Amino acid sequence: MPRPRYRSRGYRRVFVRTPGSQNVLHYKRRKPSKAECSSCGSLLKGVPRELPYKMRTMGKSRKRPERPYGGVLCSRCTRKKIVENIRK
Amino acid sequence: MIEVGRVCLKIAGRDAGKRCVVVDLPEKNYAVIEGQTRRRKCNIIHLEPLKEKIKISKGASHEEVAKELKKIGIEVEEKKKKSGE
Repeated sequence: MPRPRYRSRGYRRVFVRTPGSQNVLHYKRRKPSKAECSSCGSLLKGVPRELPYKMRTMGKSRKRPERPYGGVLCSRCTRKKIVENIRK
Repeated sequence: MIEVGRVCLKIAGRDAGKRCVVVDLPEKNYAVIEGQTRRRKCNIIHLEPLKEKIKISKGASHEEVAKELKKIGIEVEEKKKKSGE
């Protein structure tokens, strides 16, 4: 029976074979889900899914595309928004 | 609509939302743009033509384009000189 902190589904169980030929169980944290476009809900490209300790080591341009609304809206929705603003 | 001198808005890419002018049309579906964006070739699908049109010659330089755009109220940043030249 795992100890209470490892029973959460936020952890996953990994079987590891040690150099001494034993199979032991390791507990690893699950990664967060993929980022979605805030208006249409499609999956965003160029946004990594990593745990906070890794995201903090990355520079800003590694975590989002270099485009207005990059990391927030998908490319299609960005185009729609820009065209809407100019046609008003 | 897309012709030399037509002021456009770029709707895709890292320079989306910036205003530019069509300076040349080298092949079908492609335009060379200049203005608030870098001088580059781009697909005309990624351009939204605006009402304004300026008078420039085909293949105009950045300075000529910047001067004409200033007349209609579009500010273009000065191109930074490369250091170490």
